[in-house]
Amino acid sequence: MKQTPDIKPTATALLVAPAAILMFGVFVLPFLFLVVLSFWSQVPGSVGIVPGFTLANYARIIGDGYYLGGLWTTLWLSGLVTLLCLVLALPLARWIVLYAKRSKGLLIGLCILPLVCGALLPTLGLVNLLSPLGFINGALKSMGLIKTSLPLLGNIAGVSIGLVQAFLPLMILPLISTIERIPHDYEKAAMSLGATRLVVWRRVLLPLMLPGIVAGSLLVFCASLTAFVTPQILGQGKVVTFASLAYQQAAMVLDWPFASALGMVMLLFLALAGLLGALVSRGLGRRT
Amino acid sequence: MTSRFSKAMLLAAVLAILLFLLAPILVLILSAFDSGNVFRFPPRGLSLRWFEAAFNHSEYRSSLWISTVLGLLSTAIAVGLASLAAFGLVRGKPSYRLAMEVLLLAPLTLPLVVWAIALLSIYAQLGINGTLPGLILAHVTITMPFAARIMIATFGEIDPNLEAAAKSLGASPWQVVRRITLPLALPGLLSSTAIAFLVSFNDVVVTTLIAGAGWITFPVRTFSRLRTEGIDPTTIAIGAMIVAFTILVIVFGQRLFQLSRRL
Repeated sequence: MKQTPDIKPTATALLVAPAAILMFGVFVLPFLFLVVLSFWSQVPGSVGIVPGFTLANYARIIGDGYYLGGLWTTLWLSGLVTLLCLVLALPLARWIVLYAKRSKGLLIGLCILPLVCGALLPTLGLVNLLSPLGFINGALKSMGLIKTSLPLLGNIAGVSIGLVQAFLPLMILPLISTIERIPHDYEKAAMSLGATRLVVWRRVLLPLMLPGIVAGSLLVFCASLTAFVTPQILGQGKVVTFASLAYQQAAMVLDWPFASALGMVMLLFLALAGLLGALVSRGLGRRT
Repeated sequence: MTSRFSKAMLLAAVLAILLFLLAPILVLILSAFDSGNVFRFPPRGLSLRWFEAAFNHSEYRSSLWISTVLGLLSTAIAVGLASLAAFGLVRGKPSYRLAMEVLLLAPLTLPLVVWAIALLSIYAQLGINGTLPGLILAHVTITMPFAARIMIATFGEIDPNLEAAAKSLGASPWQVVRRITLPLALPGLLSSTAIAFLVSFNDVVVTTLIAGAGWITFPVRTFSRLRTEGIDPTTIAIGAMIVAFTILVIVFGQRLFQLSRRL
């Protein structure tokens, strides 16, 4: 169907151009520059950069167990966080769509609160929640359930809790919009035809929710893979993630070509995750 | 298993998940009133001393001022540009609409820390590292997708026939925009302004890389202190106030102009 425009093509182009030029120049171009920069090298002991073509930055990542270890930790941590977010977001999103009537908008607003508060402020609260004298340990101790504090900071447990908390909204929002599009009768129809609850979920609800699940998982995975504020603070330097390595190289060591190469590796894994997501949704789309 | 029982179980699970989601923010607010130097639970005493310290701390005050100015300027530019572009895309229906939406929303899906590393080295080449214009450009970019999303949804909901009717009754294009389009788009404009400002004001990921020494925003100062000296209770008090302000914006935004509807 050809849609008729309400304003002239030149006017449209003029309206769109400023934002488009800005986003291309300030957002897209740096990514292209990153590719180039990752093959340049750093003058040792200065911020000078030597243009050229060297694979030294990449060789350093592959050859050094420190960086590979960080990458491995980050990958499985991101996978774990994605899974946890999915498990927590599914019931919440479904409940908000099906049962929250007048409070729906407010609930969605509360769900995005961790997003608009940025990475830092919730993390400040998390430190006080998880620290040895903090809320959880204090509450458990005063109830007499534990004698010594549980170690919740400076380890994977703390970092995972922080990341799940920070990125849960990224899973909730796409799930809400897919669940909203599933007609209520489908579930009833399947049940009346004799399907058990489990079968309804496996054969009807989950396949229909799949686009939201894939979109949300991708967002959470990408966000966790590149997070550095939460891991640095809750990991207290003991949990080394890939993005915090890149951040250190860029902000403290000031080796920008090497930081760019680390960034390129992150982009590579994000692209792989995106590809996997596309394959999953296409494969399952064909089956149903 | 009765359906009433399973419904109650679901409700309990949902409440627990919501509590988990909001726990850090609730603890942040609670711990701001703790009187000790280090928060402990149960608190030994409650006081407002950290709020008093917050208002008397000149470094934090100047950082908050910088965050506010940066947030206001970036939001104004981002919402302005996003509104123009959204109006063009929705009303002009160009063939490149989808590509343009992908471009405007790209910062939501691509990793900002990787982008900021590249931006840092470009800024260094251009000599605008740590300058206000450089910071504003970066903040306009990270707030653009939020503003664009909300404005595209907003203009999509406005019936173009209303504009056409005004025009056929003899209104000039400027009158149509001022008397018809803008009033109808106002809830969307307010929503995108609120969200864009909060995103800019609270950003630490991008700003900490490119802020330099001259324009240290509140989140950047807090982050660097946190890594070197641990938690400063004064920051907790300021953080609690910022979070309380954010909650107010969202709750009132929801009441007054259906903030969450266009997200």
